[in-house]
Amino acid sequence: MTEREFELSRRDLLRYAAQGAAFLGAGGLVATGSRRTTRSSAAAAMSPRIKRGGTLQAGLSGGSSSDTLDPQNWVNLVDGARVYSLFNPLVDFDLGAHPVLSLADELEASRDAMKWTIRVKPDVEFHNGKTLSADDVLFSFQRIVNPKSPALGAISLKALDIAHAKKLDKYTIQIPCFTPFSPLADILASYDFFVVPVGFDLKKPIGTGPFKYESFTAGQQSTFVKNENYWESGLPYIDKLVISDFPDEVSQVNGLNGGTLDVIDLLSADSIAPVRSGGNNVIITKGGGYTPFTMRVDQPPFDDVRVRQAFRLICDRDAMLRTVFSGYGKIGNDVFGLWDAVYDTKLPQRVQDIEQAKSLLAKAGHSHLAVTLVTSAIGSGTVQVAQVLKQQAAAAGVTVNLKEVTSSEFFGPNYLSWTFAQDYWNYYPYFSNVLQGTLAGAPFNECHTNNAAYKSLYKQAVATLDGHKRAEIAHEMQQMEYSGTASGYIIPYFNPVIDGYGSRVHGVVSSKTGLPLGAYGFKSMWLA
Amino acid sequence: MIARAGTRRRAYVRAHPIASLVAGRTGQGIITLLLVSLVVFAATQLLPGNAARAILGFSATPQRIHALELELGLYRGWWSQYWGWLSGLPVGRLGTSLANSEPVWRLVEPRLLNSAVLVVVSGLTGCVLGIALGAVAALRHGSLLDNSMTVGALAVLAVPEFVVAIGVVILFSTVVFHLFPGVSLLTPGENILQAPRLLVLPALSLVIVTIPYVYRMTRAATLEALESPYVEMARLKGVPRWRVLVQHALPNALPPTIQVVGLTFLRLAGGIVLVEEVFDFPGIGQGLVNAVTDRDIPVIQFIVIALAAFYVVVNITTDVLALLCSPRRRIPA
Repeated sequence: MTEREFELSRRDLLRYAAQGAAFLGAGGLVATGSRRTTRSSAAAAMSPRIKRGGTLQAGLSGGSSSDTLDPQNWVNLVDGARVYSLFNPLVDFDLGAHPVLSLADELEASRDAMKWTIRVKPDVEFHNGKTLSADDVLFSFQRIVNPKSPALGAISLKALDIAHAKKLDKYTIQIPCFTPFSPLADILASYDFFVVPVGFDLKKPIGTGPFKYESFTAGQQSTFVKNENYWESGLPYIDKLVISDFPDEVSQVNGLNGGTLDVIDLLSADSIAPVRSGGNNVIITKGGGYTPFTMRVDQPPFDDVRVRQAFRLICDRDAMLRTVFSGYGKIGNDVFGLWDAVYDTKLPQRVQDIEQAKSLLAKAGHSHLAVTLVTSAIGSGTVQVAQVLKQQAAAAGVTVNLKEVTSSEFFGPNYLSWTFAQDYWNYYPYFSNVLQGTLAGAPFNECHTNNAAYKSLYKQAVATLDGHKRAEIAHEMQQMEYSGTASGYIIPYFNPVIDGYGSRVHGVVSSKTGLPLGAYGFKSMWLA
Repeated sequence: MIARAGTRRRAYVRAHPIASLVAGRTGQGIITLLLVSLVVFAATQLLPGNAARAILGFSATPQRIHALELELGLYRGWWSQYWGWLSGLPVGRLGTSLANSEPVWRLVEPRLLNSAVLVVVSGLTGCVLGIALGAVAALRHGSLLDNSMTVGALAVLAVPEFVVAIGVVILFSTVVFHLFPGVSLLTPGENILQAPRLLVLPALSLVIVTIPYVYRMTRAATLEALESPYVEMARLKGVPRWRVLVQHALPNALPPTIQVVGLTFLRLAGGIVLVEEVFDFPGIGQGLVNAVTDRDIPVIQFIVIALAAFYVVVNITTDVLALLCSPRRRIPA
């Protein structure tokens, strides 16, 4: 990306950071451990040049008639934009994708990691004027794990004994665990753990978020208005937020360049030039989400670790990234959890090595291997990168037959059972990703990894509160993923996120989670 | 004369040709609609995935999908679902959307209105301009004007609707001029008549693709009429050129032109899907695309039936109008 379009946001970021520091210094936050300030309290102290008021028109990619405002069961990314505007989680990601306290004022585990104490901020009001209390937090957890209709996050909370959670005082609850569980902050930040008031009614969605519900038509548009009593003082700046569903990228760009829209998201690299030539801005984020190739480790030929290693060596990751995203994004090393502090940056970057791949295949008895890769347009660039892999594999004498299916078929009954396929993953902190993907019995264990040593390392890691020790164990686990013994993933790159915004829009930042528009940070945007 | 009047009376007893045409076509139309509904229903059954899966997304667990399938009644046999839908249709019970449990009519009605306005406005404008230009070209047959308009029409015909739409946006909204919005963002509850500015560019795109058809047909029909013996006769009698055109040639060129106008409206009803996509226009085409994505069978069924019914009605209307314009055929033998 050029210097120009980051200039503004970098300046804004620096300013916010400075203000955030001042805010912290004033004793605004009580945080456990080294948790940083939330991404938006940073903007709490106002700069005089910020202009308030106005209506921000957001044209966001995706959405359909099944759009929902349920903050614990949202599906598509336009839902996400709405949910992040109306509600807050207990713990959120900051712009660097690190978990920070949001509605929670304190999140503390007992020494043995068998009990968690969660205290919420005392001065937070719901949109209907009710003060946020421990009851609401209990209700929110119960709603997620409700056995009759468990929400998306229920699986990640299975170490927690929510049924025996109890209220300690007006703002505090305590949750016992079935087994020691230290990475709760990572889990709670992961997109599905928003707080709703007791008796939450989806028809009148009441939250604590920066915007209040005004109207919503699924598949089309929602209108939210400023929450005057928002707890992050000074925010939001705009009076009204209109979010419209856009099925088509061309119309998003037309809407921005024609002046109807103020912000648009999730563009392809092809749209960068038209947005700029329309006098508008592009912001490109190196996100932590990825679209891996998935090799089932329990089925031939991938049950032989040498075959998995060979496929990883076949990939020219730079070429893949160039073809699919014009080189924006970040090269992957077959290990996930990119922005987590426990991500091992010292692992050598794997590069293409056709000779080595050939020799590994020959040793495995697969000199003339032919495999079928199931591909589908399930994430940006998935089909293109599959085509690139096919070409690169040919150089090593491997035939990759592409079987392209519709996304409905991909996610149909055979999802998670394909022998060789692809998938889409949002950014998750390392252990949160392990819990969902690579652990034996994990809900999205598409590679069918079942490594006892790996699992026992995971158990040790989540049983300790010692961050240093946890990082050591994580590195050990990542070594097993990197070598292929405990992983069937090829992660060629981490996807970039490309958003556009109008020349009169300020305060647009980028979030390393890869959620567009700074994780839908409409609250910090303002209109000149 | 008396004998002829007698024949006429007997003919009325046998039913007027127009009445019998309308009755026959309506019967055929109803059968067509039934077949269409059956085919579409069968097609929705063949689509991979179902509404429950579409609604919950790929991160849903099998238990949640199963629970929702039960709730939506997807476990019932397809004939039971189909009959439930069909039996409700005559009494206006259209069912509820699977995607968001709203009544189907409440979801579709605003979109139907928006699309109808778009089709009528662009269809009428396109037809009037097309007929006028076609007649002028026929009058100036062989002139530079005629030739250039004919080549222009051919060129536009070769371009798909959505490319025209993108061109219109580039010209009037984003790059060259900034006159009209390039996306038609309507507030839900508001209809397109309340925001006519948003109609301009989608309608213009459709007008541009409509004109060539009508133009070519009118031009050919008028040319044919102009070259006929009765026109030659009128010319020889010294009737002025414009009267020859308006009184003699155009009425005879009318029946084929009416057919083409009818066809134009039918084409528009299908062509709006892509144009609506380009402008994010909240119409029936976008509604249908959404419904298919969500496997929302009641909504798909209703929109398709509404479109099919429109086809049937337009076909009957054009046939009747064409008949009314040809005296030889509307008077019973």
